[in-house]
Amino acid sequence: MSNLFKAALLVFTLTFAVPSLSHAQSTAKYKCMVQMTNYMGEGAYVVISLIDSKGAYEKTLYVMGPDKKWYSSLKEWNASKAKKQANISAITGASVTGGDRSVNVIEIQNSKINAGYKLRFESAVEDKVYHVKDLEIPLTTATLSAKSEGTGYIRYVRFSAN
Amino acid sequence: MTISIWRYSHLALALSSFILLILAAVTGVILAFQPVAEKMQPYQAEQFNSVTLAQSLPALRKAYPGISEITIDANHFVKASGSYANGKKLLAYVDPLTGRVLGIPDKKSDFFEWVTAFHRSLFLHGMGRFFVGLTAFLLLLITVSGTILIIQRQRGVKRFFTRIAKDNFAQYYHVVLGRLSLIPIIIIALSGIYLSFARFGLVSSPNKLPEIDFDAIRSEPKKKAEEFAIFKQTKLSDVESVEFPFSEDVEDYYTLKLKTGEVAVNQITGDIISDVKYPTAVLITNLSLDLHTGRANSIWAIILALASANILFFIYSGFAITLKRRANRTRNKYNVHESKFIILVGSENGNTFSFARSVHRQLIKAGEKSFLTELNRYTVFSKAEYLLVFTATYGLGDAPTNAAKFANLLAKFPQQQSLKYSVLGFGSHAYPDFCKFAFEVSNLLSHQDWAVPLIDMHTVNDRSPAEFGLWTEAWSQQAGISIEALTELHPVKAKNLEELSVTAIAHAEHESGLFTISLKAKGNLRVASGDLLVIYPENDHRERLYSIGVIGKEIRLSVRLHLGGLGSGFLNRLKPGDKIQAKIVSNTHFHFPEKASEVVMISNGTGIAPFLGMISANTGKISCHLYCGFRDKVSFERYQRFLDSNKAAGQVLSINVAISREGQREYVYNLIEKDADRIAAILGKGGVMMICGSLSMQKDVMELLETICQTRTNKSLSFYQSHDQIRTDCY
Repeated sequence: MSNLFKAALLVFTLTFAVPSLSHAQSTAKYKCMVQMTNYMGEGAYVVISLIDSKGAYEKTLYVMGPDKKWYSSLKEWNASKAKKQANISAITGASVTGGDRSVNVIEIQNSKINAGYKLRFESAVEDKVYHVKDLEIPLTTATLSAKSEGTGYIRYVRFSAN
Repeated sequence: MTISIWRYSHLALALSSFILLILAAVTGVILAFQPVAEKMQPYQAEQFNSVTLAQSLPALRKAYPGISEITIDANHFVKASGSYANGKKLLAYVDPLTGRVLGIPDKKSDFFEWVTAFHRSLFLHGMGRFFVGLTAFLLLLITVSGTILIIQRQRGVKRFFTRIAKDNFAQYYHVVLGRLSLIPIIIIALSGIYLSFARFGLVSSPNKLPEIDFDAIRSEPKKKAEEFAIFKQTKLSDVESVEFPFSEDVEDYYTLKLKTGEVAVNQITGDIISDVKYPTAVLITNLSLDLHTGRANSIWAIILALASANILFFIYSGFAITLKRRANRTRNKYNVHESKFIILVGSENGNTFSFARSVHRQLIKAGEKSFLTELNRYTVFSKAEYLLVFTATYGLGDAPTNAAKFANLLAKFPQQQSLKYSVLGFGSHAYPDFCKFAFEVSNLLSHQDWAVPLIDMHTVNDRSPAEFGLWTEAWSQQAGISIEALTELHPVKAKNLEELSVTAIAHAEHESGLFTISLKAKGNLRVASGDLLVIYPENDHRERLYSIGVIGKEIRLSVRLHLGGLGSGFLNRLKPGDKIQAKIVSNTHFHFPEKASEVVMISNGTGIAPFLGMISANTGKISCHLYCGFRDKVSFERYQRFLDSNKAAGQVLSINVAISREGQREYVYNLIEKDADRIAAILGKGGVMMICGSLSMQKDVMELLETICQTRTNKSLSFYQSHDQIRTDCY
């Protein structure tokens, strides 16, 4: 390995690895499974958001749906996103079809758990009804270990610590 | 012109959907390359087809504890998704036995995504999908009506794949490619319709989720996943996806999504805890997707691309055909009751119209009143003197659609004055019933009291300019109006005149007697007995035609001298050694039939000329019978020695002579009447009648032949005419 490369690696490690390590201590990763109902139609776009105690969008945790073209159909979330620019490309996956499930990893700051925050699952399907609160649950240790039933295209959601 | 209901529907459907069809076909061609491009990626594991779930699932779960799902796509790529041990997202094509990463799925190409969205819905969402579905439905109807048109054209389902006569580029390839891409297009249309129905929830019943009885789930006996019976039985290639248990909990299970249904498997014991078969609708939807997108097979995808490209060609060629057909609609300058010339046309696709129109225009230009219409508009023509019938034949020797009513109308509207008629049949020897309808029209007219034949009936094979030229020459000569072959269809070539020198001339005995003249060209001439010699006695547009008999290397003409006759006078004045300019017109339909079983030659007067040549050239000794009529014995004696020597050589079997103004006063048809049985037998076994001479003789002989055919062969005369067994060259 050339010296130049070693030097570059060192710089890289110092710049990125250190802050992310310290950051990681305060977050936990959860596997989140979204099981859909047997609705008829195209794949659903589902967004998982962290909602603060006042009911405002705090952070986007995951987006199931790759095409920006359809984001406007998730009206509330899209409106909040317009105000607060955030890079979501790392937390974006495929949309989910009726009857299917989607398992994704979401990252939640430990400080937000049992602190009045909520998890919101928002869903939209082309040419079909939009559900702002397909599922909204308090972000607590209890809900993170239970199964929660959805009200729209989502049948239920389950978590498991990763 | 009238067009059949199927053709009308075919056109109306095409008109109503062509814009959407163009959009769908263009995008369809592009999309067909998506599966082709995808399959070129090297993400398929080598042993893919033999791998079982028992081999693969435990190995993958071991390699990736956070794996949540594998999907096997139409390309047999195994895509694993879930998370790595460190929580990073896992999404990769993997080797199903080792978990080795083979490749990272590309984000679906934006371009193909965009084109797919357009192909499905034209970016119009539900409305667009409806229109695209409707287009698929219209495409199906177009295909069905097109199939029926091909069946009509090919005269029967059994002949669907027989040869197609080549008319013109657009038409020929519209039919040829139509036949070839029929099946793929029907499949595209049907699967497209089905997918639309499924999209609007009209056929699909929802997938059932596995119904799990959680109370019945056992956690004993424990087995390794490698030992699960269901995993051992199931191959990876039978599976569309496998969902791994969400956690180690016994209530979390494997879900195997097979091609036919979903199976849930207990992750501890390997028990099947639910087995749901997909409803048929889902299976059909999957099949439709396979067929419509070509995702399962590159070759099929390419076939789909070709079929879609053909749709574009059909739109182009279909419009080309329609525009051509519409261009054939003619406005008449003069009305039906004031016109001297009536041109009646029977045409299925308009080709015949272009010939008729050219004659019509030339008549108008020459200051004549001419009226052009279709045969179905036949009525009383109060001022008409000339009747010209140009007709094609359709299907199995039937009338074209716009001529179907002619026979009835002819009986209904007898003309008050006598009309000089001429029938010109258009057709192709590619079909067995060559010009059959034209022959029927000619026969029908010959039975009308008011109808006088101006010239013999002519036929044009494959729109041959030469054969049409033959008719124009014959007709203009008799009608006294100069008509030329279509200049706009085929430019007139420089008249290639031959220089012929007179080698011998036997002058007529008396003022209206026969004489023969022998001519020889400088070099080798391509000429056969039955061809016509065109001479220009005054070096102007006036031409005269004579039937050629080729004897040895010389052209022998037999001519009756007419008092003040332009052509006969000119020829009679020639002396041996004189040179003349003349044109030889090939007249293949009156050549000697080399393959016929037997030939009967019927002539009167100078009509014997071509037969003399044919007999002298009959070295293959095909059975020939000559029936010839003359006014007096002297005329026959001119040929007697020649014929006798040929008879002795076996080149003609019998010579039957009728003399009309001396002795028994017989006509040639009296001879044929006597031999009716022999004639019927010859026709029955495929022999050929050749008739050359005057039109009045022809009329008598044809009437007699009609009777012979009907009473002794059970087939009509027009049957033999259309099979080229009756050949005439009369004047």
